[in-house]
Amino acid sequence: MSESALSRVNLFDSRADHASVAVESPLAYSWQRSGAPAPSAASRVVLREQTFLGHLILRGGAIVLDEALREVLDIGLPGRPNTLSWDVSGERSIQWLSPDEWLLIVPGGEAFAVERRLRERLADASFAIVDVSGGQTLLTLEGEAVPELLMKSVVYDVDPSHFPVGKGVNTVFAKATVIVRRSGETRWELVVRRSFADYCYRWLLDAGEEYAIGVER
Amino acid sequence: MNQQVQRLAQGGRIDRSRPLDFTFNGQTYQGYHGDTLASALLANGVDIVNRSFKYSRPRGIVAAGAEEPNAVVQLGASEAAQVPNVRATQQALYAGLVARSTNGWPSVQKDLMGVVGKVGGKFMPPGFYYKTFMAPASMWMTYEKYIRKSAGLGRSPAEADPDIYDHRNGHCEVLVIGAGPSGLAAALAAARSGVRVILADEQEAMGGSLLDSRETLDGKPADQWVADVLEELSGLANVTLLPRTTANGYHDHNFVTLHERRTEHLADCAPRTAEGARQSRARLHRVRAGQVILATGAHERPLVYAGNDVPGNLLAGAVSTYIRRYGVVPGNKLVLSVSNDHAYRAALDWHDAGREVVAIVDAREAPDGDLVGEARERGIRVITGSAVIEAKGANRVSAARVARIDIDGFRVAGPVETLACDCVASSGGYSPVIHLASHTGARPTWNDGILGFVPTLVDGVHAAGGAHGIYALGEVLADGVAVGSQAAAATGGEAAEVALPASQAIAESPACALYQVPHEKPTLRAPKQFVDLQNDVTAAAIELATREGFESIEHVKRYTAMGFGTDQGKLGNINGMAIAARCLKRTIPEVGTTVFRPNYTPVTFGAIVGRHCGELFDPERYTALHQWHVENGAEFEDVGQWKRPWYYPRKQGGKLETMHEAVARECRAVREGVGILDASTLGKIDIQGPDAREFLARIYTNKWEKLAVGKCRYGLMCKDDGMVTDDGVTSCLADNHFVMTTTTGGAAAILEWLELWHQTEWPELDVTFTSVTDHWATMTVTGPKSRALLAELTDDIDLDRESFKFMDWREGTVAGVPARVFRISFTGELTFEINVQAHYAMHVWKALFEHGKKYQLTPYGTETMHVLRAEKGFIIVGQDTDGSVTPEDLGMQWCVGYDKPFSWIGKRALTRSDTARSDRKQLVGLRPKDPKVVLEEGAQIVFDPNHAIPMPMVGHVTSSYYSPTLDSGFALAVVKGGQQRMGESVYLPMADGSVHEAEITSTIFIDPKGERQHV
Repeated sequence: MSESALSRVNLFDSRADHASVAVESPLAYSWQRSGAPAPSAASRVVLREQTFLGHLILRGGAIVLDEALREVLDIGLPGRPNTLSWDVSGERSIQWLSPDEWLLIVPGGEAFAVERRLRERLADASFAIVDVSGGQTLLTLEGEAVPELLMKSVVYDVDPSHFPVGKGVNTVFAKATVIVRRSGETRWELVVRRSFADYCYRWLLDAGEEYAIGVER
Repeated sequence: MNQQVQRLAQGGRIDRSRPLDFTFNGQTYQGYHGDTLASALLANGVDIVNRSFKYSRPRGIVAAGAEEPNAVVQLGASEAAQVPNVRATQQALYAGLVARSTNGWPSVQKDLMGVVGKVGGKFMPPGFYYKTFMAPASMWMTYEKYIRKSAGLGRSPAEADPDIYDHRNGHCEVLVIGAGPSGLAAALAAARSGVRVILADEQEAMGGSLLDSRETLDGKPADQWVADVLEELSGLANVTLLPRTTANGYHDHNFVTLHERRTEHLADCAPRTAEGARQSRARLHRVRAGQVILATGAHERPLVYAGNDVPGNLLAGAVSTYIRRYGVVPGNKLVLSVSNDHAYRAALDWHDAGREVVAIVDAREAPDGDLVGEARERGIRVITGSAVIEAKGANRVSAARVARIDIDGFRVAGPVETLACDCVASSGGYSPVIHLASHTGARPTWNDGILGFVPTLVDGVHAAGGAHGIYALGEVLADGVAVGSQAAAATGGEAAEVALPASQAIAESPACALYQVPHEKPTLRAPKQFVDLQNDVTAAAIELATREGFESIEHVKRYTAMGFGTDQGKLGNINGMAIAARCLKRTIPEVGTTVFRPNYTPVTFGAIVGRHCGELFDPERYTALHQWHVENGAEFEDVGQWKRPWYYPRKQGGKLETMHEAVARECRAVREGVGILDASTLGKIDIQGPDAREFLARIYTNKWEKLAVGKCRYGLMCKDDGMVTDDGVTSCLADNHFVMTTTTGGAAAILEWLELWHQTEWPELDVTFTSVTDHWATMTVTGPKSRALLAELTDDIDLDRESFKFMDWREGTVAGVPARVFRISFTGELTFEINVQAHYAMHVWKALFEHGKKYQLTPYGTETMHVLRAEKGFIIVGQDTDGSVTPEDLGMQWCVGYDKPFSWIGKRALTRSDTARSDRKQLVGLRPKDPKVVLEEGAQIVFDPNHAIPMPMVGHVTSSYYSPTLDSGFALAVVKGGQQRMGESVYLPMADGSVHEAEITSTIFIDPKGERQHV
């Protein structure tokens, strides 16, 4: 049964794994164009791009997806809207995006295998999995001034007292859209679409100047 | 340097150890740290700060805050730093400040326009512009030049602004606007309850009226209590204090914009931080608050009497503020004209400062409050039942004419006594500052008890203290605590204790209702009695307006300009309404009030723009290949927010190609060799689910049931009105799996369109849509040599024409990268569209160029793409269509599944009589008779160029280019009934009088059988 279900979609590993193939993250051009100020002791925000992670969009019913994820990755779906959960290692996360839509982020190179195992497990259930790894990137922002920086950038209420660790939302960032997540006391994440990444990066550098923003590469 | 002749030796909240030099109208003066520009000017005895807007009369400082109508100055030492519209009363003094009067030509002291002002009463009546300058219309330009020169409040800088600005999105449970006694008490109560509180105050220092109060709290000066509260608030993590921040607009749903001036008290350009970082000069806080407390206090109303605009006429409260807060006495001999007890403190403060109080003129017969008693005890002369009916003087008050008045009869009821003085202060009572509450559209209501309008409050908004007519200090504090607690409780705060400081009970006798003071002469003949000083509106103007039939206060406002512009009627509106009411023999509530609009005080454009300017004005979306395009000299075209290569000009013989030359070269390369286009911007939507095919059949006009795995099909999408909205190729990846492409600009809207129909109309269909636009990079390799080139880079895709046909797709590797390759053609040539994960796009692109050298692989941009597709008659949705074009109008009946079993979006609309008629504008080709002519896109088409004007227009050109292949201009156009007029001539009359002739042809100009794309 699972074989026939698998055959009804085009399961395609778009990742090239040879050393001979040059790979460029969505911020590759931005490093060239805008540079990357080195973090200093004065930096109250430090930005880093977490490159080449596996990003999968899951669509379907919460109950079947939850069961499959627990079996395949040992993570449950987050129980509430606008939240996310991590596996024990902290390397894999699953975030609620809409009532039947979640974002699964896994270490680079795992996306295809995870998709295949989930598809096998989900078989004939009503669901979809789409690999969007090439289309977005994850930026981490670390430091005490991150909420201040975000308040200048997003309309959502990111006051730390109202945005606990484990919360994640899709919101307006300047004139683009990003996902904002809080992954630690002073650690936040932005999931940015590839084509908007340079705009968001330039905005962050500009808005972050007063916090002596630094970029780790 | 002038002396600070009016400065007291001690007192005030200024730092005499920190003198600051500043320049006003070219003259250097000295003030102190803690001064405003206004207090420093008064300290230096500067009487005239401006010339009035219409009559060009000399004007001095009247108020001490946002309500100041006259002292509106132009700020900035350099051209780039120019700021108009600054109220000197709100501008903190800093070393090196440079200010100028906004009006006055050639100078405020000697004003030529003043000649006009002297006879202005007859020369410039209300409605002056309408009456005088509207006819003859041809003269308006001449009039305007002089009017503009003589009027206006400042100018914008002619150079780029060196400063940066930003926005901050704030969220809180309780927003308190105003940090006077009620605001501080409310903020304290809300803050102690634990909810998030933002406290914004427009002044340099928080404390409001407590900063110049004669009263004590807990037996200590009132400003000590202010300091204690601010210390507590600043120590609380849930409280944000925003001094120098004006709530300029109250918008729907408790969304309030706050304009924070961050560096304007330091210098005219924002200084860098200690670390060398730029800092924003102003910040617009976009606050979404659970509850809003308006603790905006009240503005004192001046009395309207003759000559009330001569410098030296001030508000009574402003006199107290200048003396107590800034240690400045704005004169030597004071006459105070009042209708209430509270204003008596001006005389007491003046007396305390050791200057002469000539008299207090009280309109009431028998005032007997505590302050009245104190004045009498000091031996100050109190004249009751009377008022100052006229202030005398030209450039400064020299005397006050005082007389007994009959308020109800509106007449002078006794002999006039002239009192020599150099300052007349007046108080006609207090108007709650209701501007923000009015921004919601709620009309305020008149309260006879306080002789003022109080705000009407929408849900979630509260008023505290003076903002709704509570004036006694003890009551104000209690009200603040009550409102603060209530607002906090409404947003989940815990009940908290706030102990009120002990205040003194001050007995006050009731105020009387006095607005315009009668003169011996009737209003129309008396010396000017100003109502709105900023817009030069007089009592006579309002009376005239009512005589001319303007009865609605909104009409009176527009006819006279009362409360216009940056003033927003802060001082004059209530007086103006009272005068209109008197003339119309109505009550003030019957006349009603005009609407106050945002902004409360002017907001600099920089703050509105924030960071959204220059390179951050709008997002620029880049493909994964953007850097290559930049490095290879591409010119870019904006397509939505995308930057797409437009064409790639090359150096030819030391000269850069023109666009025409580059496009011709790129076109030839594709038709004769091989070209490459970055097509990554096309929208791509991954569609999965057992009902995907059924969904496609309903959303597209054409059929999808038989599209086999491995095949691609062009699809046309209509809105429900039958008009084409998008097109693109959708490929069958597997039975339950498709990938749809959309136009670049339509990507987001089409995804929404699919979701809309799925979620609202066909939720039973098991199908999902996910954008993969950014995941895939798309490289279009096209031209007769494209197969040979691709063959060098793939060894696992069979490129044979029989096994990999036109409109097939295959997967494999290209340059070592997993790829889906589609044989889709938008050029009419043999084409392979290579899709790889965007991270590898640059690798594949560069590999193609490495191998493409021997084929002269040529990058081409959107302009060449447009020419090539138009030669083939391929439409661009949004260029050849405009939302009023059906598939049939395009001659694309082949792309419509009329007999599909389930209806599809737009089907019914195609049988409407209007969409079915035969003379609709239809897409055709046009060949200009003169091949050198490239028709203008948008040019109108007529059948008969000799028809009398207006000629019936029968269509227009939608796309037009020069074709290097045809060596001729050619075009696509829509023409009425055009599909039945093949071979006929049409005409295009141009703006320069020339007329082009063109022949209607097929839309396909090259390779009509499509052989080239099938090779």
